[in-house]
Amino acid sequence: MHGHMKFWAVMAMAVAPSLPFAAEDVAKDLTAVIALLGLPCGQVVSATPRGNNEYNAVCKDGNRYRVYTNAQGRVVAEKQ
Amino acid sequence: MVATYPYESAAMTAPSITAFLLLAALAGCAADQPPPPPPPPPRAAEAVVPIPVAPPVAVALPPPVQPAAPAVVLPAPPPERTTAKPEAPAVAPPAKVAVIAVPAPKPAGPPPMDIKALEKRLKDTSAIGVFTKLTLKNQVDDLLDQVRAMHQKQAKTNLAQIRQSYDLLIMKVLSLLQETDPPLARDIVASREPLWGILADPVKFASIN
Repeated sequence: MHGHMKFWAVMAMAVAPSLPFAAEDVAKDLTAVIALLGLPCGQVVSATPRGNNEYNAVCKDGNRYRVYTNAQGRVVAEKQ
Repeated sequence: MVATYPYESAAMTAPSITAFLLLAALAGCAADQPPPPPPPPPRAAEAVVPIPVAPPVAVALPPPVQPAAPAVVLPAPPPERTTAKPEAPAVAPPAKVAVIAVPAPKPAGPPPMDIKALEKRLKDTSAIGVFTKLTLKNQVDDLLDQVRAMHQKQAKTNLAQIRQSYDLLIMKVLSLLQETDPPLARDIVASREPLWGILADPVKFASIN
């Protein structure tokens, strides 16, 4: 039992670095999108996925956006 | 009178005359003989002394002459070198001209991309995220719609306004790529004016639609 937990602890440590890296990539992507759309943000510090091609983004300046792709295939950032 | 002449003539007749003649002859012979002997001995002595000296002098003279000749030859090459050096600088300016001519083709070095190639490379790059790519595609499509409307005279925007939008869009793309995909950013910079040339020309623009 003790060895089993140790195995999962090692696996979690191996996988853990990739999760923040992916989250960082998403944050950068959303930061670029919001900037390209000309909206105030500064830098996205948190991104929460909300389904397919949709995120809730929290900016460093406190602004929050819902970023998604609409039916016409356009990327939209709605201020919340 | 008798006492003078007879006395003198008696005392100096035959012996004095012969003695005088002998002395004169001897003196003349001695005077004649010494000159010939002295010249030969001195000449022989001088010839003997100079002979040993003369060969060294004669040997010494040729060597100086020979070094002098090489010395003359040596200076000759330097003039040739100096003449060659001026020739080299004379050749160098053309090289500089060639170097100056080389930078001119350099700007034409990176081949400009067409719109399709640019679109493909933007799709393939991993430097920007999916949402960012989609956003850029939307904005490129918006710009192409504006250009199309302008060429069809259905819009109030003029070429200068569209050029401003085009420049802003290029700056956005470059700001996204310059750190993460510099080669693509450089190619876009190189293709900036050719792409605008396509957009601004109605015939070329119609050909890409």
